[in-house]
Amino acid sequence: MHTDRRTFIKGIGGTLALPFLESNLIAGATTPTRFLVVANPFGMHPEHFFPKDFGKDFTMSRTLKSLEWLKDRISILSHTDHNMVSGHGREIAFLSGVLPADAQAFPEKNMSVDQAVARHTGAHVRYPSLNVGLGSGVRMSWTANGVENALISDPQRLYDHLFLNLTRKQKKARRDMLTRNESILDAVGDQLSAVARQGSKADAGRLDQYQTAIRELENTLAGRQHWIGQDKPSFDISHHYEGAATIHNEYHAFFDMISFAFETDMTRVATIAFPTNLSYTDVSGVTRSYHGTTHNGKMEDVTDELVAIESFQIEQLSRCLKRLDSIPEPNAEGSLLDHTVVLFGSGMGYGGTHSNRNLPVFVAGGGFDHLGHVDTRNESGENMALCNLFVTLMQRFGIERDEFNLSTGAFDLRYG
Amino acid sequence: MSLTSARGLSIFVMDSLLIGGGNPPRVVVILALVSCAGLWGSRASASPALMQEHCLACHNEEKAKGKFELGFLGDTPTEENLEHWLDSLDYVVSEEMPPEDESELTPGQREELIDFLESKVKAFEKTMEFTVTPKPRRLNNREFANSVRDVLLLENVGTNVPMDNLIGDALHHGFDTHGETLSFSRFHLEQYIEAVRKVLDATIMSGERPKSRRIQIPAERIVRQSLNQNVGRPDRHLKEGVFDFLDPRLAAQFPDFGEAPAAGYYKINIKATGTDRGIYDADDSGFYHGDPIQLSVHLGDQVTTYDLPDDEVIELELTEWLGEGTVIELRNPTDAFTMRGNGNFKFQYALTPTHLKKYDSSRYEELVSIIEASPDKNSRKGIDTWHNWTKYWMGARPQVFSVEIEGPFYHAWPPKRQVALLGVDPSAEKAIEILRPIANRAWRRPVQDGELQKIVDMVQLEAETMGDIEALKEGIVAILVAPSFLMTDLAEVPAGNRFASKLSYLLRSTTPRQELREKVGAGRLASFDAVREEIAEAFESGGADEFLNEFPFAWLELNDINFMAPDPEHYRFYHKKRVSEDMVNEVLAFFENAVRENLPLPEFLSADYSFINADLASIYGVKDVPEDSVLRKYQFTDGRRGGLLGMGAFLTATADSLSTSPIHRAVFVMENFMGIHPTPPPPDVIITEPDVRNATTIKEVLAAHTEDANCASCHETIDPWGYAFENFDPTGAWRDVYVVPASLETDEEGELIPGEGKPTTVEIDASARFRNGIEYQGIVEFRRQILTEGNRDRFVRCFIEKLLTYANGAEPEEIDFVAIDRILEKSAECNYRIVDTISAVVDSELFRGE
Repeated sequence: MHTDRRTFIKGIGGTLALPFLESNLIAGATTPTRFLVVANPFGMHPEHFFPKDFGKDFTMSRTLKSLEWLKDRISILSHTDHNMVSGHGREIAFLSGVLPADAQAFPEKNMSVDQAVARHTGAHVRYPSLNVGLGSGVRMSWTANGVENALISDPQRLYDHLFLNLTRKQKKARRDMLTRNESILDAVGDQLSAVARQGSKADAGRLDQYQTAIRELENTLAGRQHWIGQDKPSFDISHHYEGAATIHNEYHAFFDMISFAFETDMTRVATIAFPTNLSYTDVSGVTRSYHGTTHNGKMEDVTDELVAIESFQIEQLSRCLKRLDSIPEPNAEGSLLDHTVVLFGSGMGYGGTHSNRNLPVFVAGGGFDHLGHVDTRNESGENMALCNLFVTLMQRFGIERDEFNLSTGAFDLRYG
Repeated sequence: MSLTSARGLSIFVMDSLLIGGGNPPRVVVILALVSCAGLWGSRASASPALMQEHCLACHNEEKAKGKFELGFLGDTPTEENLEHWLDSLDYVVSEEMPPEDESELTPGQREELIDFLESKVKAFEKTMEFTVTPKPRRLNNREFANSVRDVLLLENVGTNVPMDNLIGDALHHGFDTHGETLSFSRFHLEQYIEAVRKVLDATIMSGERPKSRRIQIPAERIVRQSLNQNVGRPDRHLKEGVFDFLDPRLAAQFPDFGEAPAAGYYKINIKATGTDRGIYDADDSGFYHGDPIQLSVHLGDQVTTYDLPDDEVIELELTEWLGEGTVIELRNPTDAFTMRGNGNFKFQYALTPTHLKKYDSSRYEELVSIIEASPDKNSRKGIDTWHNWTKYWMGARPQVFSVEIEGPFYHAWPPKRQVALLGVDPSAEKAIEILRPIANRAWRRPVQDGELQKIVDMVQLEAETMGDIEALKEGIVAILVAPSFLMTDLAEVPAGNRFASKLSYLLRSTTPRQELREKVGAGRLASFDAVREEIAEAFESGGADEFLNEFPFAWLELNDINFMAPDPEHYRFYHKKRVSEDMVNEVLAFFENAVRENLPLPEFLSADYSFINADLASIYGVKDVPEDSVLRKYQFTDGRRGGLLGMGAFLTATADSLSTSPIHRAVFVMENFMGIHPTPPPPDVIITEPDVRNATTIKEVLAAHTEDANCASCHETIDPWGYAFENFDPTGAWRDVYVVPASLETDEEGELIPGEGKPTTVEIDASARFRNGIEYQGIVEFRRQILTEGNRDRFVRCFIEKLLTYANGAEPEEIDFVAIDRILEKSAECNYRIVDTISAVVDSELFRGE
């Protein structure tokens, strides 16, 4: 049931945001490192995305202009990819390098890097990861079971999910419901064993998925029992929906809620996806559809619209990063941004050519010794496997591994 | 590997052996001969010799054109090399191999080679132990909703949108029944639990009998809610005593009613009429004079649409079971009134001056003088601007005078639907008796002794705290999220039950009815004739409507039709009249007609007719159809259209937004109609971006495909399947030329700048030549040329494979080749008639799994 916007604002107006760290509730918390992934489905118009020159002293490109302030804390990677065939449908492998169809060949299926990190950081926070999309999304977050993580794509739902506190009665109802669900899982688990006993080998794989689902749900139910007792931080979003519903408001609402969730340590991993079907006609100069402008036939006016859309996406990200940078990290040096690894990119290189080579990718913040604009090709001129970067990012979180899916090594990006 | 992905074979044409490259070609041949001698040299049969003579030059160890070496075939088919045998057979049958310009087989030799390959394949498959193992899969969301509905004996899952929270199903080439693709996670499980609870809450009620109330809502109390983004527009009631659907993008809502306070029956009485039909010209308004004026009643997400009479107030009376929280809404479902300006409705107001000036100038003068005198007059844009005419709009539309809603009421208490599930006096004591029949329906097999014990224990324990009825509901939840309900085709299910279940999911996407289970149990569906009768009866009685809607939709991947929608600026009509909906309906109507008439499958390709309405006629350039939205059979006389190959749905789904792609269309035709699966381009291929600023035809852009030997090996096979459609633009409309919008000025760097010059046109070349030498000049010849026996068999085989994919949740495998051949033979015996072919599939071991 949809609540209308008025109820939405009424329900949350007037609260003063005084962030406190949720995880302080758990003893022994240390300074967190966070992971923010932002992705789009069509890549970037390459001539306008990639800077013309390399090195730390590069000149910011047209699309990335709004990140000028972050120039010494960004690494833009030219010439990385997942070695994928051209065409749509590869963007879903952005964070893993593995298509769902090929997932069976990998022990962790097509698990995406955000989930690999979330498994590591998730135990400390209320939500192991948040996967959101604006309206709809890009399929990119997958579990080690090869199952897609459902996106939250409605701002109201995201708000409720993150910030709505339960009344005492609701808490009781919620607890009762969790208990009831536990009983159901128990009964169903019994039926499953009976079925599995009689089943053939062919059944085994699909029943395994079912078995895992039961076990994981049991675990989350137990975890949720703990968090039901804790009040959530409060967040004032009333100004986000004043006036007309524009694309700006939409972007602000999602980015602000996610950065607030970071500030209060409700989660340490978030992915934000800009979907294909969002209308950008509120952005000055844009009249066509997002997808339509990628197939611009090199016509200048249409290409300009595409670059305007892409620049807008980056401006919105920049606004969010500025906010993170304005908040000092409690109990540590630097800003929240210096403790947040930001990954922007797409699993598609550029929609106009359907190329999945030379993916538009950059890493910002996270306390790295950043490199500016890097040509990642090796001596024989081959592109670098993007999974190499993912290995480096995982290591930043203290995950001790030196390979991930298609990696051939690690990308040399140091920190600390 | 599945049969449908096995067709990796492709053949290079430019061979250095033949054009006399610098290398000593003889050596290559000898080497290859040595490596194959043990396999081919010693055989007495003539066919291996034929293959050496006609194939080896290109398919030897050294060259391996199309990544195929003759040596792959070995002596005889094995599990590993079967796909190569099948590919070879297909290429020889279709006469695409050997390529006509390389090496020629006499018809007798070809026949001999086909016989040889076929007999080897068949002999091999006889040696294989043939077992079809059931492939369990999760129910998709559609099947889940239908099954919950039928297990709980309801008319629908409820108007309280209980399935809203389910995670969307991923599709596999359009199919939502594909087991590999239907994943299962804790999210799924949790959402199922929630969805089932919501359905049960609207069905089984444990509290007091809710009180009924009657609410009278006069027109003045109906509120309009805009359906577009422009929310909060002030109300503009223009007439007393009538709610007027002046803007089709608004919904009528009832704050006095709010939402259904409790589950129960509600009587909804609506006084309404249609008005102002046929005043504006259809070209201006987009509303066809022959169309009914309609009103849609939305109860949650369930929509019913009614035709209204003209200028005669009628009472629509509905009695419906509504779930708690259901919202009621009325809408005008028309796709009209978007034909002016950018499609915004407001520009429609200017139709009145246009109309009056043409037909009633005195009325026009009269209104102009009233507007001139009005203080609100907009003088900036001239008197005829839409701003001035909002009060005088006369488009065809519904009007609502009043609405009365009464409820909730019950024919009995507890409600009948509850008694049907729990009995008159439900208690946790009797849980086993109550739950057994429900589980028996849900699990699609008899429930074993002791199987329900754990659930019964849970119910009896929970009854102590939550009461008997709520505890029994929990028991039903457990039954409906158990693997035996959520997973189809489990090996635990006895064969007969499984067949009944599969047939039911194929035709109706839901659990089997008791009659069907009994029929199968009694062995009355064991023969082809019995199966055929059952299926024909299902089609006749509406018992397979779900199949008629879902299968063609999945087969033609129609979910993709607007993935690359035609550009809204260039193809306005397509968007303004929501033509993609008509296109999808055309496919469904054609398919349904084929089933009703039991037509031969090849007619899908050869038909000179289709089912079109005025919107499609306008895209297809056809004049002589009635001015309305009804799809009617229409015979095309130009040889260009009719059947699947001329349908907008296919032509649009395979085009980009501004241009067409012969490759996409070719691959679509091959994959979905011919059952040929071309290899995707290698990962290192760089695809050039088409540059529309140059006056190039797509054929010139794609010339690279045939110049580069690496590309040519596949594209010589692929491209001829696509060029024929070049005369169809991205919406499927006919065009004789490409229109290049920009002038060709260049800047100082030699880059082209789009200018203001006149558009240029470029002649379209829709000709091509298949590798077997068949040539065509355009779509008309293409359509004639491809109607060969070989292609007919390919098409029917492809249909059979698609149907098996839909029915089994998995694509057939190579090993199934002979079984599919048998279905094909049965189909041929019945002149390839569609109902018989579907029956042959169901009667086959591939479906029965016995």
